Amino acid sequence: MIVDRFARALDDRLRLSPVARRALAKVFPDHWSFMLGEIALYSLVALILTGVYLTFFFEASAADRVYQGSYAPLDGSTTSAAYASTVRLSWDVRAGLLIRQTHHWAAVVFVAAIVVHLIRIFFTGAFRKPRELNWLVGVTMLTLALANGFTGYSMPDDLLSGLGLRIIVSVVESIPVVGSWLAFLALGGEFPSTEMIPRLFVTHVFLVPAVLVALVAVHLAMVVRQKHSQFPGPGHTEHNVVGSRLWPSYTLRSLALFLWVLAVLFALGGLVQINPVWLYGPFSPAQATSPAQPDWYVAWGDGALRLFPPWEVRIGGYRVPAPFVPGVVVGGVTFLALYAWPFLERIFGRDHRPHHLLDRPRDHPVRMGVGVAALTFYGLLVVAAGDDIIARLLGVPVYDVLSVLRVVVLVLPLLTGTLAFLLARALRRGDAARLGDLTRADLATAHGAERRPPEDASERPARDRPGERVEMWPEGDVWHWRYRDAPGGLAVAGNRAASSEEEAASAARLAYPGVDRVVVPGPPLPAPGRLRTALRRWSDRALGVSLLVAALRQRRDRRRRDDGPDTSAPDR
Amino acid sequence: MRQAARTAAGWPTPRRVLAVGAALVLATGPAALAARPAPDPAATSAPAPAAGTSAPASTAGTSAPVPAGSERGEELFRQQCASCHGEQGQGSQRGPSLVGVGPASVDFQVGTGRMPLAHEQSQPRRREPVFSADEIASLVDHVASFGGGGPQIPRVAHGDLPAGREIFAANCAPCHGATGAGAALTNGRDAPPLYEATAVQIAEAVRVGPGLMPAFPSQLLSDQQVDDLTTYVRRLQSERLDRGGNPLGRLGPLAEGVVAWIATVGLLVAAARWLGRRAGE
Repeated sequence: MIVDRFARALDDRLRLSPVARRALAKVFPDHWSFMLGEIALYSLVALILTGVYLTFFFEASAADRVYQGSYAPLDGSTTSAAYASTVRLSWDVRAGLLIRQTHHWAAVVFVAAIVVHLIRIFFTGAFRKPRELNWLVGVTMLTLALANGFTGYSMPDDLLSGLGLRIIVSVVESIPVVGSWLAFLALGGEFPSTEMIPRLFVTHVFLVPAVLVALVAVHLAMVVRQKHSQFPGPGHTEHNVVGSRLWPSYTLRSLALFLWVLAVLFALGGLVQINPVWLYGPFSPAQATSPAQPDWYVAWGDGALRLFPPWEVRIGGYRVPAPFVPGVVVGGVTFLALYAWPFLERIFGRDHRPHHLLDRPRDHPVRMGVGVAALTFYGLLVVAAGDDIIARLLGVPVYDVLSVLRVVVLVLPLLTGTLAFLLARALRRGDAARLGDLTRADLATAHGAERRPPEDASERPARDRPGERVEMWPEGDVWHWRYRDAPGGLAVAGNRAASSEEEAASAARLAYPGVDRVVVPGPPLPAPGRLRTALRRWSDRALGVSLLVAALRQRRDRRRRDDGPDTSAPDR
Repeated sequence: MRQAARTAAGWPTPRRVLAVGAALVLATGPAALAARPAPDPAATSAPAPAAGTSAPASTAGTSAPVPAGSERGEELFRQQCASCHGEQGQGSQRGPSLVGVGPASVDFQVGTGRMPLAHEQSQPRRREPVFSADEIASLVDHVASFGGGGPQIPRVAHGDLPAGREIFAANCAPCHGATGAGAALTNGRDAPPLYEATAVQIAEAVRVGPGLMPAFPSQLLSDQQVDDLTTYVRRLQSERLDRGGNPLGRLGPLAEGVVAWIATVGLLVAAARWLGRRAGE
């Protein structure tokens, strides 16, 4: 009731209802994989919420500060203000450790969710025309997420993150000609500079988040503007979206996911320790700790640095230091390839048509092979970042682990990529519905003639598909329509009511081109529930009885009046 | 007992102890017992700091069910150690010389169960000690009788925690890790985790430098500094420092990444999947 009045008041002033009606009627596909991006989105919300709390207590400065607090091994020690305030945040601020850990967990889950989302988009071909732009925005957000993760991880000025920062600075310095200048420019001096932490802080809490949030808005706006992609299915065409409306069903589902993401992140923050900086101690250039790894989403770079042999070359009198290839080239090529993939696929696949129906991963064996090979490669690089941990757990020399990984990281992606390519091709051409159904015959016939996937059914004229029609019916002063496939036992209703028959017809034509339209009396109203029936019956009876009683009383009154006019007359 | 052992050390060959006979056994037995007033099994993992270094005046008179310290030490040494380290501790192709390693080294190696080795391996591992505290003490004495001096078993006192943290960060963290979880070294060896070491064992390791570890003699770290260090390492072992919940073995970001992926795929993606399934119904 209050919401209603509030909404009306807003609408009176801002005339929101046309926009809101459109927005609330927006249809989202029901398939679960379309919610993966939302996990990332809600992790970002958790990041911002917890991050704001942390800024109240974090002091982004390299100035000396004496820590005094309940962490005894540091009590009275002089460290940087950034480190002292982080330890204070963890040990002396109410709920500080919970929020700090939740923030960190949210960051690692955020990037993981982005990667999972990216994998879904990649393998289903959701980046194809007309969605290349959104792919570019998404990849940019991934780089920003990595950047912000790394700056956030480095800010507390603890020993472990200081080592990581030192490595990144070395990688930047390894760029020929301009490297040292770039590092100087970024740090405002030699590593470790006093400028470093304030700059990291501003980047972390202001610069990157602002761009990130703006890009999230662009990302979502493009999804709304371009209509959602969807998997092929009955009633699904290139021109429509079949699923649930934003309000109420999708909103509730999304809200449930939001709460679940928050629950998981806070549970992790409260139950599993992450980045115990008090144990690591403050950063000092002369000190080190081992094993030392960065967070997982940067670990592939660390793994590449560990695996790459110490080769240095001279080009035109300039030395190219060893970290340049694994640090700068591998990272640069990775993101260039990500940015370029939609365009590469369009050019080499000679497919310039727009696509709104998604591929199943098997539909594109080359993409499948490349994707699986790339995932294997980067997964192995992350594993390589833990070479010392592996060596210790297995009790083998760390250099043996390195040598083995050097080979494996080059060979295994080729194997897995080829295998994925072959399996996808066999699945596409054979009859097997899933991987487990593949037979040897399927694999053998993989070399046979290619069976073309069936043409998009909606593109064919309707007379080829009997039993399909669009039904339209008036209800009050609005028109509804629905698509009906009688043999398939399917009925898909239009998401919005139209104000006229023509409008309904054009909406139906847009969603189901070529399907005959008929006007029908409209589907029967749903049968009311038992309670409602009983209530109505009883209220009908009560009404009848009360009418009867009223009629009887009226008649009696009239009769009484007729009987004694003398007595009543003076009153009049 | 230490006095008794030193008496034995004066003799040309410890083997003669057997030849001399029971008289000496009876004479040294009570003294050895007196040096170990409470031979409790807990002392194997935490030998009393004063046990090895100070032998108070013997309250002789308690009966001796076990053989005398030097006797027992020699017997154990011949049974368990001599095959590799030689009868006189002079070393062989299979084991290094024990002359001059010092009581701290013997106490550390045997007290942490690293010695005697069950089989040849490049790096002995910590395990349950084979010997009781008494036996360890008699072995220590016996090895000391080979001569050569070496670091004594340190006496550990309570030290300053922040100072210990700084010493640890500068000297120990590069190999054992800032969290004390241990890390890989070269050739398949590693710096072990510090979580099971007693205060005395920590101090012994610092002074002796077992395996690949460098020794830190008193010119490098004063007794006070070693006390500070052991105080900090003991604190590092305490689970109270894992304030944020399960420490994941204090292995750092990669372990955390594994947990993050399990949570993302196992809880969040699964939830999205469940919600999508429900929508289809």
